[in-house]
Amino acid sequence: MPIAPDVYKKIVIAKLYMDENFYESIDLDRISREACLSRYHFHRLFTRIYRRTPHQYLTYKRVEQARQWLADKDLSVSEICNNVGFESIGSFSVLFKKEIGYAPQYYRNQAWLKKQQALAQPRKFIPHCFIETCLKA
Amino acid sequence: MITKVSHVAFFVIDQQKAYDFYVTTLGFKVNTDVTMDNGFRWLTVSPPEQPDLEITLIQPLAGNMMGYDEETRNAFRILLEKGAMGAGVLYTPDCRATYEELKAKGVQFKGEPKEQFYGIEAIISDGVGNWFSMTQPTGGQPAKP
Repeated sequence: MPIAPDVYKKIVIAKLYMDENFYESIDLDRISREACLSRYHFHRLFTRIYRRTPHQYLTYKRVEQARQWLADKDLSVSEICNNVGFESIGSFSVLFKKEIGYAPQYYRNQAWLKKQQALAQPRKFIPHCFIETCLKA
Repeated sequence: MITKVSHVAFFVIDQQKAYDFYVTTLGFKVNTDVTMDNGFRWLTVSPPEQPDLEITLIQPLAGNMMGYDEETRNAFRILLEKGAMGAGVLYTPDCRATYEELKAKGVQFKGEPKEQFYGIEAIISDGVGNWFSMTQPTGGQPAKP
């Protein structure tokens, strides 16, 4: 059954709210109420549209932000865990590994190595045909 | 035997704006971002669920990095400024939701999503020279060979 345009807008507004506030404690009941939908309908429609439950999506957003910060920011793993909205380093590590495939510290080490290699030997990352073109120019 | 496409180039009028669109707005992942001594920036991004496809965001008008002659560069400029370079389909599991979300983020579309025989489609601009079909295929899954 098609979703009405105004309902689409409500779900999208709720999703954008989660995108901007994922690092805070988000009350999914409150988001459902603000979307003028019951918790059941909000959960069902959100999951149908985004292929993840609202809770799974929130976890995904937090893990994704953690992934970026582990690669780019000079913060400890615990600080990143707290800053993206996880309450326990244990659950953060488990969920990070489940989503990304590596433990947070291992992911950080690999990202750092790649960054150092890119700085020292950028050509290793560029297909040879492009290097030929660029160096001739 | 060729079994996959590993890299595909999107020519863009501004590489940093392209980064903002594909990474910040669409949520693509940066795969490689390195800059050579002569300033040539090799920037590749991948769709969130397609990490083995690297989309190279190439700025053909930056300096003379690509070795194109003036005539070629002018041709690129004209096409990119017209937004005439795009040729591709971006898959979405829900076209109407993605349309509402991206419209709220200021992305430009040619009209609202429409039902086509192959699915629900909206035409989207990346703002740096390319238009794409953004399609939710009939049945909800990307077409398989």
